[in-house]
Amino acid sequence: MAGDSLPFNVQVLRDLARHELVDVLDSVRGKKGLVIDQTVSGPLSLVAEFTLFKEHGVEKVYQMETPRIDTDCKALIYICRPKIHLMKRIAEHIRAHQQGPNPTKIEYSVFFVPRRTMVCERVLEEEGVYGEVTLGEFHLDLVPLDEDVVSMELDNSFRELYLDGDTSSVYYVAKAIMKLQTVFGVIPRIIGKGTCAKLLVDLVLRMRRELSISADESTNSRIFPASSEIDSLIIIDRTVDLVTPMCTQLTYEGLIDEKYGVRSTFVELDPSLIGAPVPAGSSSASPASNKPKKVPLNSGDKLYTQLRDLNFAVVGGLLSQVARRIHEDFEERHQARTVSQLKEFVGKLGNLQAEQQSLRLHTNIAEELTKYTLDQDFNKILEAQQNFVAGILNNIHVDYIEELIDKQAPLMHVLRLLCLYSLVNGGFKAKQFDYFRKELIQTYGYEHVLTLQNLAKTGLFRRQESARNPYSQVRKALRLIVDDVDEHQPNDISYVYSGYAPISVRLVQVACTRSAGEVPKAAAGSAAGTPTNAGAPSVAAGSQAPPSWKGFEEALGLLPGPHFEESQKPPDYAWLGKRKNSMARTGPKVTMVLFLGGCTFTEISAIRFLAQQEDGLRDYVIATTNIINGTTLVEATLGTAAVNSA
Amino acid sequence: MTDGVPADDWNLLHDRFYRKIELYDLAWKDVDLSKFMVSIAPFGGPIAMIRNDKKVLALQSQNVKPIMYIYTSSGRLINQFQWDKGRIVGMGWTNTELLVCVLEYGSVRVYDIHGEFYQFSLGQDAKDYGVYDCHIWESGVVALTGNYKLVVVNDLDEPRPKVLCDPGLNQAPSCWTFIPPHLTLSRHIEVYLSVGSTVLVVDASNVGDQQVQNGPFSRMSVSPNGKVLALFTADGRLWVVSSDFQKELAEFSTGSATPPLQMTWCGTDSVVMHWEDTLLMVGPFGDWIKYSYDGVVSMVPEVDGVRIITSDKCEFLQKVPDACEKVFKIGSTDPGAILYDAFELFEKRSAKADENIRNIKPELADAVDTCIEAAGSEFNEARQKLLLKAGSFGKCFLDSYDVDRFVEVCQVIRVMNALREPDFGIPLTLQQYRRLTPDIIVNRLVNRHHHLLALRLCEYLQIKKDRVMIHWACAKIKKSVEDEETLSRLIVEKLGTDKGVSYAEVAKTAFQSGQSKLATKLLDFEPRAGSQVPLLMSMKEDEHALTKAIESGDTDLVYLAMLHMKRSLPTADFFRIISNKPLACSLFETFCKQQDIKSLKDFYYQDDRKLDIANVTLLESCGLEQEEANIKLELVKSAMKMYQEDRNGAFEAKAIEDQVRLMGTQIQLERDVGHSFMNLSLSETIFKCLLLGHGNRAAKLKSDYKVPDKRFWWLKIKALIKTQNWDGLEKFARSNQRFGFSGIIDSLIKANHISQAQHFLEILIKTGGPEKDAHAERYIALLRPA
Repeated sequence: MAGDSLPFNVQVLRDLARHELVDVLDSVRGKKGLVIDQTVSGPLSLVAEFTLFKEHGVEKVYQMETPRIDTDCKALIYICRPKIHLMKRIAEHIRAHQQGPNPTKIEYSVFFVPRRTMVCERVLEEEGVYGEVTLGEFHLDLVPLDEDVVSMELDNSFRELYLDGDTSSVYYVAKAIMKLQTVFGVIPRIIGKGTCAKLLVDLVLRMRRELSISADESTNSRIFPASSEIDSLIIIDRTVDLVTPMCTQLTYEGLIDEKYGVRSTFVELDPSLIGAPVPAGSSSASPASNKPKKVPLNSGDKLYTQLRDLNFAVVGGLLSQVARRIHEDFEERHQARTVSQLKEFVGKLGNLQAEQQSLRLHTNIAEELTKYTLDQDFNKILEAQQNFVAGILNNIHVDYIEELIDKQAPLMHVLRLLCLYSLVNGGFKAKQFDYFRKELIQTYGYEHVLTLQNLAKTGLFRRQESARNPYSQVRKALRLIVDDVDEHQPNDISYVYSGYAPISVRLVQVACTRSAGEVPKAAAGSAAGTPTNAGAPSVAAGSQAPPSWKGFEEALGLLPGPHFEESQKPPDYAWLGKRKNSMARTGPKVTMVLFLGGCTFTEISAIRFLAQQEDGLRDYVIATTNIINGTTLVEATLGTAAVNSA
Repeated sequence: MTDGVPADDWNLLHDRFYRKIELYDLAWKDVDLSKFMVSIAPFGGPIAMIRNDKKVLALQSQNVKPIMYIYTSSGRLINQFQWDKGRIVGMGWTNTELLVCVLEYGSVRVYDIHGEFYQFSLGQDAKDYGVYDCHIWESGVVALTGNYKLVVVNDLDEPRPKVLCDPGLNQAPSCWTFIPPHLTLSRHIEVYLSVGSTVLVVDASNVGDQQVQNGPFSRMSVSPNGKVLALFTADGRLWVVSSDFQKELAEFSTGSATPPLQMTWCGTDSVVMHWEDTLLMVGPFGDWIKYSYDGVVSMVPEVDGVRIITSDKCEFLQKVPDACEKVFKIGSTDPGAILYDAFELFEKRSAKADENIRNIKPELADAVDTCIEAAGSEFNEARQKLLLKAGSFGKCFLDSYDVDRFVEVCQVIRVMNALREPDFGIPLTLQQYRRLTPDIIVNRLVNRHHHLLALRLCEYLQIKKDRVMIHWACAKIKKSVEDEETLSRLIVEKLGTDKGVSYAEVAKTAFQSGQSKLATKLLDFEPRAGSQVPLLMSMKEDEHALTKAIESGDTDLVYLAMLHMKRSLPTADFFRIISNKPLACSLFETFCKQQDIKSLKDFYYQDDRKLDIANVTLLESCGLEQEEANIKLELVKSAMKMYQEDRNGAFEAKAIEDQVRLMGTQIQLERDVGHSFMNLSLSETIFKCLLLGHGNRAAKLKSDYKVPDKRFWWLKIKALIKTQNWDGLEKFARSNQRFGFSGIIDSLIKANHISQAQHFLEILIKTGGPEKDAHAERYIALLRPA
């Protein structure tokens, strides 16, 4: 993985957030209670651990969702998103404290993530508690999920952007990019695709312009560092590629997400899977020990780093290899003859035990996942998906969807398949469309009248309007289907879906390397009269040039939304004089890929694969509004999904 | 003046020199400071004074309203205004040169130097019991109320009075002081109260008794860095301790039982006390210097000394800056002194100059630095010049010297000299200048309407002059008598239209001074969309404000503009304005879904969006609980009507018609069967009927709602397996051959009924046909006993 060589250290963002958090906690003197909005707790756990809270006087942490907070604390600090329903909750809490038989006097502070809004102030005012609370901001935006992934952790961004038409998250992302630029320098090149992506780039450029209005030249260059650590930014709008998330993710990390759901790098597992030795004294059947445990999944676990991006098909083999190696390492102790050899072994022991623990965990998870993948419906669904994306739209598979509905299969499985079919086929024929809608409503309930409208609005599941089917053209132009994919020795990003290359990542690839990853065929090469190794140098040349859509405009035209390429001039460092040149950065180029509306684990894996392919000439950092999969994406469009925006 | 030896008027305090510099002969006449309450702003800031009504003279009638005077440090009147707001308990300056006056009954007024103000209250305790005393620091106020509670306001821009932990006093402390938040470890204010023989330290959550024995104290003063506390005891001793009372630093007996009128710090290592006619400075080792004065003076601590205002002079008392000491100390052998000496010899054309230079050759760069720094620390212009020349002279002998430093100090000296002119009266030292930064100096100048000097300063130091021009334009508008046309031309000429100067502030001023046409005109030049919004709103240019807010991309601004309109405009107009702005509509819809369903329906109704009304109505019905079945049915019915009226809602209308029918059926079923079917879908209803053994009812539902055979079969199998009705299952399988066996076998395997699955596999094999060919082998493998 490219992790260590990254010149660009996302941990800076974590440190920034951590410092600000400390200021937030210290703003109230003495002991206090912390009330956390559930959508903030994920990112918060990525920047601080519980001991930090403790060190700064936090006695207890409360969930904001609880309707009433009974506390001895004289002060409560709320950390929450600026959402209306949360303001009402705060008001509820305060009123509960003030009324009742023995009213308690508590000092309230509310810190909004990432900023305070007038709407919320107004709601607090209307609720009559505005005078009771001290308001502040906690600019927690992009938090590192790993060395090469940063996320806004805005869980609802897809729905807000593409269904509700609420572009607040674009504004927040724009602000975060501005902050990023103040830390890592102005990004000289920004390209992107999609309507909201365009909105975002316009906003970023406007903010920079407006900032330079209010600051004079010397402060302007003080705001932005002299060198740009990020060479380019590629913004991909989720609506450009809705096909990819509908497919079942087939990497190790992707499958874990499909089965268990990964939230802010944590997965909740049954304790038996974790394989922690049961403490001898405790009774084995105590109910507490059966509570799911949170396990972090990140590059801190070396074995996981090896496994996460692999196609699940090869994970088993690798695990047994590792098991053998660890076993051999343990056996070394028998060979230790001298004291110093023994000492050396003991030194390694700690590491070995950690490795063994991690091996146990992943072997257990892999076993569970294997069971999951052997399920008949899983395989039938997978087969249908593979055929759909390859353009084979057989009736067998459509009938199978019908069967799933008849069997009252989980709604999400059904909807994901229906959406995928609709996406690759340019919609359903009117009769079929109405048939499926009726079946869905009769089986899953009338409230899905709303869900179906929402799905149509986002373009996920709709009636065919014209015979034209852009997907089939996109499939050819971007070489989405690769037949001879080798999961063991992948040579193309399509390994993450066993033969289907995600559109989004293919776009990144064509922008950065000017090629869709074709392996030049000897015959084709000589026929055209060019040397057979033409492919390799052109890839290298592509890595040097800034990313561009050049040459692929036609394919882009087939996908929804505009595409754009912008350049930003770095600030003028004339005032710095001679010091200017010494700051130029050497090393690989860094490209940030930003997903607006969320990205999947497989897409992250595919981008990491790209970085490996480019031989250290270009590193990639992934930024996203949140991590999604097909299920969370479709769930967001449910008619009854709580409207928690604004 | 240069003739005198600079060190002549230095005083030695232990091993350090102090000097007192006369900055100005004050321009005011006949001011007796003893009759006034005086507050002086630090950093060479202005002086506010008002007749002290605790010291009313017999001749003056109580009815004469006092006047608040604001002077520069050079004694020139900046502004005066009549005071008619009740007794002032205390006043002080903030770091933005705002004058804070705390009044008897807890209201606080914050004035700019032109007399414009805003006010807030210190809360109920202060209102009920009055304010006993108060202290003011750069950004906040702390007050002791009449019932001896402490109230603090940390941020004057957003005042929220907070009561500190109750010290539980029933009489006033003999004196008190505080450490401001930015100087304490905890970053929260700490208040020191002298109570009995001890000192209490109070913060937001604690009262700590410091277990001190030698109180009560009549004066307390905290050093500028917040680390040391000076206390004056009842028997006339000065006692200096670290502010945590852990370390005793000095003790000094003044021999005066009368407490000093004022006690303050000069830098961080000497304390200055003032009694009428006398100023006594005490150093850390009990050394002291005494200065004589005529009557009462007023002092303000600066970062590097104390500024003293007497009835006719402004003076500055400081520790002699290191660079000056190195150069001018009698007998100094510092390279700086030798360089200065060499330069003087050179001026006298003496060859010894060269010898001097050679002597210090290795340290010449340091010597140059020292001379330059000393130049910056001198107030006398002639001496500044000599020192700079000496530095420049030394520079000639160096191969490489970073000239930036030299240039910088020359620039700063020019700026400081200009500011020190009595007309401006801002006497800054080099250290103060560096602490204050040029940006803030520019702000202070424009606040005093010295726009020209501010502009020159910006040009000279190459900092952005926008805010000077903006401030100038605002001031111009406020004072202007010209017509709007001329004024607008004048302003646009000066501010330019292409340099990105922000016009929002200027336009706002124009609007506030009643020139709305001018305001509109000027606002058009504002380059930032977001900045235009608030003003456009107050100008009632609502639609324009909304357009600009949308342009800015800031959704919160859009909300602001929109909610403002919703309140101030007739609903119809409001809807009309937002209806062609997609972002506004989306945000309004999201907001209403949570806050105001009724408005949302009105909005859709106005626009004839029946489908959307139906959707909202349906959404409402989904949220309802079991007990509200009737309301739920009504809502679904009314949604149905709306769908029926919209020609795009044909499918939805049909689906909801079925739903209404189903809900009726479910109520009937509940009555007949005695089980609730509420909130179940059609399939679930059928399934439940099957489970309960009401096959006929299930079959009726199937035909009523035209449920396809396949779905019905699947439900049936599921129910049969769930109830483990194996005979029924077999009967079903045999009589519905069309359905096949593999579905049944799969379901059985999934439900873990292996032997039954094997049974049906046998039947499948016996029956034969394509289904057997397709699946049998797989099942055999799957069902093989492990």
